[in-house]
Amino acid sequence: MFRPRFGPRRSAPRIVLASATLLVAVAVMVPAQPAAAQAERNATTDAITPVEEFSRQIEQLKKTFTDLSKKIDDGTKSIDGLTDIEKARKEVADLRVAVSALLGAVADNGDVARLGSKARERADEKLKAFERDTRFKPAEKEFLIAQWYKLRDETDRAMTELGGARKDFAELLRTLQTNEDFIDELVQIRQAQKAIEVIRQLTKDIRDASDQLKKLIGGIKPPGV
Amino acid sequence: MRAFSARLGAAALLLTLPACNHDQFGYVEVRAVPTTASAAFYLDTVKIEPLKNGVAIVRQKAGTTKLQTERGGQLALLCDIVVKKDRITTVTISLLERPMRCQCRNSGRADQPQSCIS
Repeated sequence: MFRPRFGPRRSAPRIVLASATLLVAVAVMVPAQPAAAQAERNATTDAITPVEEFSRQIEQLKKTFTDLSKKIDDGTKSIDGLTDIEKARKEVADLRVAVSALLGAVADNGDVARLGSKARERADEKLKAFERDTRFKPAEKEFLIAQWYKLRDETDRAMTELGGARKDFAELLRTLQTNEDFIDELVQIRQAQKAIEVIRQLTKDIRDASDQLKKLIGGIKPPGV
Repeated sequence: MRAFSARLGAAALLLTLPACNHDQFGYVEVRAVPTTASAAFYLDTVKIEPLKNGVAIVRQKAGTTKLQTERGGQLALLCDIVVKKDRITTVTISLLERPMRCQCRNSGRADQPQSCIS
């Protein structure tokens, strides 16, 4: 039979298509509402995330410090026994690389410092928000505020301790590079014996600095712990 | 498959090569006196985080970088800083002097007095 090319029968697939589109749209919109609510909930429950991230980074940093300070100890031990100036120079250069890595971890533009600032900002934001918050009973609000103050103070303390480590690592790096330059100069004027003496004194200084750093690093307490 | 692996290897190598250059980092220590005064400093055009107790230690790619400050809404050069791999270059800025001036812990050559080296 003749079936018209254009006409009502042709519109049926369009209706089906429109219905399907509508269904898909509804299906997308229905979970959209809880997703938005979920995001809102996450923003509230995850307020502590920057503090936790900072804390995790500090823990990781302490582990790195421990590994590298072992490397420094091994390096100084091996230099002690050396009489070959070239080998000793190489060991000193390796030590400088290790100390540089430590300094990099705590530099002002490093990840840990950035996370610390972020954690501090978040604590400040929360404390400001609680000033306007009327949802909770006074005792509940007081408890939450006290907890955020505690986290903020602990973050500040950890950042101050990291600042101390930064200063000490910078000083140690400077000591190493200055001594390295001095040793190079001594070698240039064929003062190998004097260079060996400088290296011996340097290893003693490094050992002292390393002991101090170990104490400092051991004392760093991540916030929220 | 073998050709694909070769291409993948070449791509990985290309990605690795620039990464090698990025490993060349040193440090810049910027000190300001008096420590209570404040000023904004830039290494090239990147702003340094506010100095804590008058000091900032920044990890910086090896090479020569410009230490700048804000003057009249524009960046003004203070001095050049030469950064070497795994070494620290220290510069002190006296904030009381006008214009501010770099005091290098270790200066460059006599013909480059405004260049701090490590």
